[in-house]
This record gives sequence, C-alpha cells and structure tokens, in this order.
Amino acid sequence: MNKKFALLLLLGCALAPLSQPQIKHIEMRVEGMT
Amino acid sequence: MKQHLGRQSGVQTVEVSLIDGKVQITPKEDGRIEPAQLLKATYDSGVSVAEMDLIARGKIVKDASGNLALQIGSNQSFAITPNDVSKTLEALVDSSSIVTLRGELYKKPPGKKKADPSVPLKLLVLEVLKKE
Repeated sequence: MNKKFALLLLLGCALAPLSQPQIKHIEMRVEGMT
Repeated sequence: MKQHLGRQSGVQTVEVSLIDGKVQITPKEDGRIEPAQLLKATYDSGVSVAEMDLIARGKIVKDASGNLALQIGSNQSFAITPNDVSKTLEALVDSSSIVTLRGELYKKPPGKKKADPSVPLKLLVLEVLKKE
C-alpha cells in the first residue's frame, strides 16, 4: 500500500510542472531588423 | 536583438528569422516571463514590434472591474479583450478549469512607431486550444 502511494506521489511530482499555469510560447513579428 | 532578448528573465531560447521578421521565444519551464519587458527589450535593441502573439495556460477570472482576465500564476494576469471567442470562456470564470489559449497580446497601432509602455497589454483571444 505504501509503495503504491509513493509511486503515485512520484508520478504527481513529475507531472506537476506540466500542469502549471504559464506562458508556453511567444511569437513576435518585428520591423526594421537588418 | 537575439542576445538582448535572451538575457531577459524567464527566457530559455530565442529564434530569429530574418526572412519573415519572426521572433520565436520559448520561456523556461519554471520561469516567469514578462511580455511587456520583451517588448521594451526589442525596442531597446532598435527594432519595432508589429505584433506579439502568445500561447498560455491559465485560469479565467474576472478582474476588479468585472472584465475577463487570464490568470497565469499568482501574480501575473492579462485582461481579455471581449470578442466572440472570449464569450465561450465566461462559463469558466472562477472554476478550477485551466485553459490553453492562443492570443494576440500586442499589435502596433497604425501610424505609431513605438508602443506606449504605460498602456497595459490586453489579450485578444484568437483560439481556445485546450480546456482541462
């Protein structure tokens, strides 16, 4: 039982950064670049 | 410009395409990135920004004046410009749902050369990519 719980906790920790609110990507169109 | 942008906090990579004038910025996984700072940094390097789009994950909330906003983390949010797509987000206000959106954060006003830094950036939602 403890082993399963530990595995679940480990999986949760691994996936947590993926589910955080954040800016994933930014794209700009610029002018005057040489 | 690439080096200048790469030094901004939260930025992982910067890809510049000279052919079509596109700049792709990938934020760090755990970093907070500030789009207004990126706009300023771009102008400071002598280039003007015509448009800025982003893809972001966050919660839909209502701000103090009752307008929709995308809350990204505890201290970053963008007011949402009302349009047909944003109407579909009304139902998610203050729910635990997290949405992934593609939107336009800045477009250069016609005739203006430079963005006014005192005007806060507003998010025009172009597409809802995911609801979780």
